[in-house]
Amino acid sequence: MKKLSWLILLLALPALTRAQDVKIPPDVEKLSAKAKETVEVTMDGPMLRWASKFLSADDPDEAKAAKLVANLKGIYVRSYEFDEEGAYTAAEIESLRSQVHGPGWTRVVGVRSEHDGDNVDVFFKLENEKMAGIVIIAAEPKELTFVNIVGPLEVDQLADLGGEFGVPKLDQKTLPRSQPKAQGDHK
Amino acid sequence: MSVDKDTSRLEDALKIALRRQQPPDEFADRVLARAITKESGKPASRLPWLRIFTRPIFAQPVVRWATAAALVAALVGGGIYHRHVQRQRAEGEAAKQQLILALRIAGSKLQLAKSKVQHVQDQTENQEEKE
Amino acid sequence: MAEPLSAEKAAAIAETDFAAIVRRHQAMVYSIALRFLGDPAAAEELAQDVFLQLHANLNGLKSHDHVKFWLRKVTGHRCIDFRRRSRLPQVSLDEAPEPAAPVQTGDPLLSRRLQQLVASLPEKARLIVILRYQEDMKAEDIADVLAMPIGTVKSTLQRSLAMLRDKVTRTIGEVAI
Repeated sequence: MKKLSWLILLLALPALTRAQDVKIPPDVEKLSAKAKETVEVTMDGPMLRWASKFLSADDPDEAKAAKLVANLKGIYVRSYEFDEEGAYTAAEIESLRSQVHGPGWTRVVGVRSEHDGDNVDVFFKLENEKMAGIVIIAAEPKELTFVNIVGPLEVDQLADLGGEFGVPKLDQKTLPRSQPKAQGDHK
Repeated sequence: MSVDKDTSRLEDALKIALRRQQPPDEFADRVLARAITKESGKPASRLPWLRIFTRPIFAQPVVRWATAAALVAALVGGGIYHRHVQRQRAEGEAAKQQLILALRIAGSKLQLAKSKVQHVQDQTENQEEKE
Repeated sequence: MAEPLSAEKAAAIAETDFAAIVRRHQAMVYSIALRFLGDPAAAEELAQDVFLQLHANLNGLKSHDHVKFWLRKVTGHRCIDFRRRSRLPQVSLDEAPEPAAPVQTGDPLLSRRLQQLVASLPEKARLIVILRYQEDMKAEDIADVLAMPIGTVKSTLQRSLAMLRDKVTRTIGEVAI
């Protein structure tokens, strides 16, 4: 009943959009029970703005991050590290990928690597030709990571994420518009 | 029948186990102090205790009592408010660290994607060269 | 004809009322939070926030019963939100410091075990059990407070009791239940 009433609310008020339109499936959330280490970050707009108040204006990296975060509506991260390979299934990955659908979403990177087992998908959401969100799904043999950043994100702002806090720079030129696929098997 | 009896005993045991507990002694004072601190953001004329000083002189006993109460509340409130600010700061720092962690993870996975794409491109170029 | 209250007098009386409300209901609010969260510090913080929210909304409340209903409702919702937001780790009541408690009749070992088991119930079930046995509320009143169907409240209560009975018997053994 409650789910139905929420659905009706969402249909009746199209202007009322929730920050996170990509949901994390419950079977993925349950992976935390199997993981040796779990990182869960769920920060909506108000929480982001509050946290960013504590970013230091004197620290150049933190100041840039504060500027980036000021426009974001949410950051959602689930990262699970396991002791053994095979802790999650292909079905669970597919259930994550299937969440990234709807208007504006495009998969810009989809890499399947047979030799080391790393598989990465990067999705962009575009609204009025501007970045409105990004989803990254990284499925490694002993680690599964889901990142959803929601907000009016400029591509160059996204590139600025690199180099902050020890994060490597992302070169816009090397990030293709369309999706290349590696030769090899898929997970 | 015995199940009903067991259930009844369990319910009695639950009522005992879940009996209400009083919060720490200064709980109510802390709540009132925070409420006063929130109120102090408003114009002074709206603060009811301040009005005490404008009352006629024949209300002095009330003035004395209310003034004493207000001073105690301010002293208690001041110390508690300071601890509240410290706690807020600690919570804010923790949230900031979470934010930094999230950005770090996002960045590292983007780098992973980039390196994979680069690898694919290198492989493609090598194959084209061979051909 | 009685003179209408001046704004200052009304405000002063309102503050006095609020203090009285806090003192009257602090055990209720704090205990619901404590039994739900299992952490006295978190419970106190949550309870403070509930009363501050009450302070901001006092004008909208019509009667003492309404205040009590409102407090239970808001405390319940805040407990669930708090848990989801903060991902508070399950605090074993063995580790948490003992809050000041009245002398309890009955078996203290059993009480302790029941408190732990209740704290391990799923969130909605936990809240229902707390409202039923701490607050002695009827199923229909719990359904009102939590905005759930009565049937759901009753079936959740039944399942929770069955689980609690089973776990208590298994872990403590032949304790009189």
